[in-house]
Amino acid sequence: MNSLATLRVLVEMAIRDLGAHWVKSLIVGSLLAFGTFLVVTGGALLDSISTSMEESITSSLAGHLQVYSADAEDSLELFGGTGMGSADLGEIDEWGPVRDTILGIEHVEHAVPMGITQAVVFGRSEIDRVLEALGEAVDEGDVGRQQALLGHVRTIAATLREEVESRSITSSDPERAAEDLAAIEEVMSADFDARLAEDPGEALIFLDTRIAPLAQDGQLYYLRCIGTDLDEFSEVFDRFRIVDGQMIPEGRRGLLLSKRFYEIWGKMTIARNLDAFEDRIEEGKRIAGDATFENLVKANAAQYQRILFQLEPGEVGPLMTTLKGVMGTAAPDSEAPEEILEAFLLVDDDTFAARYAAFYEHIAPLITIYELPVGGVITLRGFTKSGYMRALNVRIWGTYEFSGLEKSDLAGASNLVDLVTFRDLYGKMSAAQQAELEDIRVEAGIADVSRDDAEAALFGEGGLFGSQERTVEEPEEEELVEEEELDEAVSLSLIDDRVYSKAEMVEGMVLNAAVILDDPVHMPAVTAEIESLAESEGLGLQVVDWQTAAGIVGQLTYVLRGVLLVAIFVIFLVTLVIINNTMVMATMDRTTEIGTMRAIGAQRRFVIVLFLLETVILGLISGAIGGGLAIAFVGWLGHVGVPAVQDILVLLFAGPRLYPTLSLGNLLTGVVVVTAISLLSTLYPSVLAARVPPVVAMRGKE
Amino acid sequence: MANPSPGPSAEPSAPIVSLCDVVKDYPLGKLTVRAIRGVDLDIQAGEFTVIAGPSGSGKTTLLNMIGCIDTATSGTVLVGGQDTAKLSDRKLTQLRLDTLGFIFQSFNLVNVLDAFQNVQFPLLLQGTYSAAERKDMVEGLLQRVGLGDQIHKRPNELSGGQRQRVAIARALVTTPRIVLADEPTANLDSKTGNDIVDLMRELNRDEGTTFIFSTHDQNVIDRADRIVRIVDGLIADDTAQQRVQDAGA
Ligand SMILES: Nc1ncnc2c1ncn2[C@@H]1O[C@H](COP(=O)(O)OP(=O)(O)O)[C@@H](O)[C@H]1O
Ligand SMILES: [Mg+2]
Repeated sequence: MNSLATLRVLVEMAIRDLGAHWVKSLIVGSLLAFGTFLVVTGGALLDSISTSMEESITSSLAGHLQVYSADAEDSLELFGGTGMGSADLGEIDEWGPVRDTILGIEHVEHAVPMGITQAVVFGRSEIDRVLEALGEAVDEGDVGRQQALLGHVRTIAATLREEVESRSITSSDPERAAEDLAAIEEVMSADFDARLAEDPGEALIFLDTRIAPLAQDGQLYYLRCIGTDLDEFSEVFDRFRIVDGQMIPEGRRGLLLSKRFYEIWGKMTIARNLDAFEDRIEEGKRIAGDATFENLVKANAAQYQRILFQLEPGEVGPLMTTLKGVMGTAAPDSEAPEEILEAFLLVDDDTFAARYAAFYEHIAPLITIYELPVGGVITLRGFTKSGYMRALNVRIWGTYEFSGLEKSDLAGASNLVDLVTFRDLYGKMSAAQQAELEDIRVEAGIADVSRDDAEAALFGEGGLFGSQERTVEEPEEEELVEEEELDEAVSLSLIDDRVYSKAEMVEGMVLNAAVILDDPVHMPAVTAEIESLAESEGLGLQVVDWQTAAGIVGQLTYVLRGVLLVAIFVIFLVTLVIINNTMVMATMDRTTEIGTMRAIGAQRRFVIVLFLLETVILGLISGAIGGGLAIAFVGWLGHVGVPAVQDILVLLFAGPRLYPTLSLGNLLTGVVVVTAISLLSTLYPSVLAARVPPVVAMRGKE
Repeated sequence: MANPSPGPSAEPSAPIVSLCDVVKDYPLGKLTVRAIRGVDLDIQAGEFTVIAGPSGSGKTTLLNMIGCIDTATSGTVLVGGQDTAKLSDRKLTQLRLDTLGFIFQSFNLVNVLDAFQNVQFPLLLQGTYSAAERKDMVEGLLQRVGLGDQIHKRPNELSGGQRQRVAIARALVTTPRIVLADEPTANLDSKTGNDIVDLMRELNRDEGTTFIFSTHDQNVIDRADRIVRIVDGLIADDTAQQRVQDAGA
C-alpha cells in the first residue's frame, strides 16, 4: 500500500463513504464547519480588539510604557482604578533628571509626566439654592414669588421630616432629633407665612441655620484628576481634543474637565435625563409599551420644580406661553406653571424630538444647566497623604475628550489639571513650604520633623493653612476672607492667576510618566534600558507596559482570549465526543465491509488510514466552508462595524464601532484546529475499526 | 511470495492444506461449543473440493481456519506449508493477500466501489503491478466471468449472480493458489448457482487453482472432484479416502 494508486483509492473510497453515509457526514461536517467558523471569527475579532485597544490605550493616557516609583505600594491603574485616590504609587521626587535620562534612550520620542489624585467638589444643595432665590424675592419684595418659593421649601421640608423621623429612631441624640422635628413643624405651620412677612431676615436665618443643615449636602463630585504637562500631553496624545471652552493657556493653572464627566455628572438632573432619553430613542427604543422607560419619563416630569425655582418671576409667564405653543393642542387648560411644566416634560414618542429641542432652546438659557460651568471657578478639595483636607480654587478652562472614545466612561474618567495644582492637591510640600517648615522647626526647636508632623504643622490647627474645618473656605493663598465675601470671592479673586514658567510647572514631584516610542516593537528593549539606567543612576523607577499600566482594562484582552480559548476548548471537546460517537457507530455499521477488506488482505494500517482520511477530508471541506463563512462574516462586520454596546467596549474598540479584519494567521489557526479535531476524534474509532476481526466477513449479511 | 513453501512440483505428495487433529471451541456464555472436534484433512493443489454437511455442522468454521481468518483451539493448520498458529496478524494478512482468494455467501463487495475497483482492490494492496497491468488483468478477468460490459457498475446496480461473478474475479485476480468459497450459491437461484459452479470448475481446470468450498446444495456437490462430508464437527465421509480405499480393495 505504498503506491500512489492506493492512496488514490483510499481517498476515493473515503469520499464515497462520506457520500454513502451522508447523514453522519452532515452532522460531523456541520460541527467542524461551525468550529472552524468560531475559531476563525473569534480569532479575527480578538486580534482586531487587541489592536484597537492597544491603539486607544496607548494614544489616550498610557503611552507605550509607564514609569513610576519602585517604592510604590500599589500598582498603577490608569483606567478604572477603584480606590478613591488611595493607591500608593510612591513618588518621583524630581522629574527633570528622570525625564532627561529617559529621553536619552534610543527610540524614546516623548516622556509625559503625570500624577493621579482624587479631589472632591461640593455642589450646592437644592435647599441652598431655593433659599438663595427666596432671599432675592425678599429683597425685591416680590410676595407672590416668596409664596411660591416657600411652598418649595415646604416640599423639601416634608421629605426632610421623613428622614429625620427615621433617623430619630436610631439616633444616639434623641433630643437633637426632637428639636429638628420641631423646627420642621414650625416651617410647615401656617404661622410661618406671617413670620416671613413680618421679619423676612429673621425667617431666612431660621431657614438657613435650622432647616438647610438638615438636608443632605449638595451633590458631592468626585473628580479623578490627572496632573500633567498639558502642552506635552496634548501634543503626544493625538486623540486629545478640547470640546468646550479652551485649552489651559501656557503657564497657567487650571482644570480641564472630561467631557463625559461634565455631561453625566456635571449636568442638571432634568437635562441629563432628557439626554439619556435621547440616547435611548436613538438606539431605537420606544417609550410607549416600555414600562421602565415610561416610569423614567414620569419621574423626570415630577421634578419640574428644579426648573421652576430657578426662574425669575418675569420669565415664568413668557416661558409658559412658549411651552404651550410648543405643546399645541396637548397643552393643559390650566395656567398654573407647575401643571404646564410637568405636562411639557411628560413626553411621548411623538412629542419627544420637538420638546427636547424646545427644552434646550427656551428653558436651558434661563437656568443653570451645568453645576461646574466652563469658565467658572470651583473649589477642589484634596486629601493629603496624612489625611488633611486641602482646598484650592481652580478655574475650569474647558472640557476635553479623546476622539473616538467620547462614549467611554473609562476613557472619560479622568480630568486634567496642571502639575502645580496636582502637587497642591496631592499634598506634597513645595520648596517654599519646606522652607516655611524649616522656620517652624527652628522656632519650635524640634530636632526633626517627620512628614506627617510637618503636614500637621503646616496644615493643621494654627498652622500655615488653617484648621481642617476652615480649609473648606480657605483658599490656597494666604488671604483671609470674611464669610459673606466668600461666595463672590471664590469666583473672582481667590485664584492663582500667576503665569508659571515651564520649569516651575514641570520640574518637581510627579507620580508617573508615559513614555512614547517611535515604534512599539522596541518596548522590551527600552524597558530593559530604563530599568538598567534606573539601577545604575539610582532613580528608583519601575517600568510597566501599557497593558499592565491600564489596569483591569489592559488585562481584558487576556480575559477575552481566555474566554475564547475556553469556548473553543468546550466546543472542541463536544465536537470530539460527538464525532467520536458518530464514528464509533459508523464503525459498527461497517464491520462486514471492514472484515471483508481485512479478510482479502488489507492490513490494519489500511483501515486506520481509511478512517482517518475520511474525517480529515470531511474536516478540510467543512473547514473550507466554515472558513469561507467566517471570511464573509468578518468582511461584513468590517463593513458595517460592531457597535460598542457597552461602555468598556468603546475603549476596547477604540471608538463607537469596531471594524474587524481577518488575517491569514486566523485562517491557518482554523485549519490547524479543525484538522486536529478531525484526527483526534477519529483516532479511537479507527483503532476500533482496525480491530474488527476478518472472520466477521464470513458472518456477513449484505 | 517470500516463504519457501514446498511447491507441488518439488514434492508432489505434499498437500497445500493440511489439518491435523484440529479442534475449535466457541465460547457461548459460560459454556463452550465445540464446533470442530478433531479433524484431519489434507488437500492437494489443484483439487476441487466440496465440504458438504447440514447447517451447523461446522463447514464455515473449518473454512475460516483454512482461510487464516480464525485460529484453531488445538491441532495444527498448515497452509502452503506454513503453520498458521505461528504467524503474526501482519504475516497472516499478507498470506491471505498473496495465497488465498475468498468468495463469500453474501458476495461482500465494497459497496462504494464499482466492479472494476472491487476486483482491482487486492492488486492495489499488493502494490506490485502498474496501472496498465492492473487494467489488463482486471478487465481480462471481468471479461472471463462474463461481465465485460458491466465494468463500471456499482454492486447495487448488479444482480446477485453478477455480484458473485465480480467476487469470483476479485478472488482470482491475484492468481492465488487456493480459493475458498463459503456456500457461494446459497443466495442464488439454482440456475445461476449452477452457472457459478461451472465458472469455478472452468477456472480450476484452466488455471489449476485449488478450490475449497462449502455447500449443502446437492447440485453443487455432484460436480465436485472430492466431497468431504462433515457432521457435528467431525468428518463423516471423504471421497478421496474412499478412492484410496477403493484402490486398495
Ligand atoms: N462465533 C460463534 N460463536 C459461537 N458458536 C458458533 C460461532 N460460530 C459458529 N458457532 C457454532 O458452531 C457450530 C458450527 O457452525 P458453522 O461452522 O457456522 O456451521 P455451518 O457453516 O456448517 O452451518 C454451530 O453449532 C454454531 O452454532
Ligand atoms: Mg456456514
